Amino acid sequence: MIAKPEWFKRRKYTGWGLTPSTWQGWAYIVVMILPIIVITEMNVIGSTQVVLLSLWAIVFGIDFIAMMVHVPKDERDIIHEAISERNALWAILVVLTAGIGYQIAAGIVVNEITRVDPVILLALIVGTIVKAASNFYLDKKN
Amino acid sequence: METNIALYRNKLNLTQEKLAELAGVTRQTIISLEQNRYNPSLLLAHKITQALKQKHIEDVFYL
Repeated sequence: MIAKPEWFKRRKYTGWGLTPSTWQGWAYIVVMILPIIVITEMNVIGSTQVVLLSLWAIVFGIDFIAMMVHVPKDERDIIHEAISERNALWAILVVLTAGIGYQIAAGIVVNEITRVDPVILLALIVGTIVKAASNFYLDKKN
Repeated sequence: METNIALYRNKLNLTQEKLAELAGVTRQTIISLEQNRYNPSLLLAHKITQALKQKHIEDVFYL
């Protein structure tokens, strides 16, 4: 792991993820984004550019996720985050369900049931599976 | 739940930051506890009691 968790703080009010809280955190962001700009500006074949960008994105992504896992959180932070995430999930579910309802209604109007976006359905199914798996794991754990 | 955290912390000349470090939580959590806005877990209550050099948890936390 390149980044240190103490360079960042949990993003509470502007979405998900982390925000740099020290100059090292900002330096890390700049150092990680700089190669993306350099690769994009490089005069190489399109596919090579895509491969380089993908590789760098994987390195950046893995390092950032590893750091997110290790950012210190106390029990109050964990409870607050869990409640916030639950509320966010409910908002997302309401919007997705309303979206499906709208798409079904629109499909009925034009006699076409396949107008429902499969990605939305997949999101709901995957969400249900993850919820069930989480509950199962937590029930077994404690 | 109410607490005597501030009382014992001041007796030991501990800052909120130092107590937070000893208990392994953020300063914000200590502030919330001192203002009786957060009910800690039993584990955290024990850690804070120890950090404040008290023997009995009920001396620090009470209903």
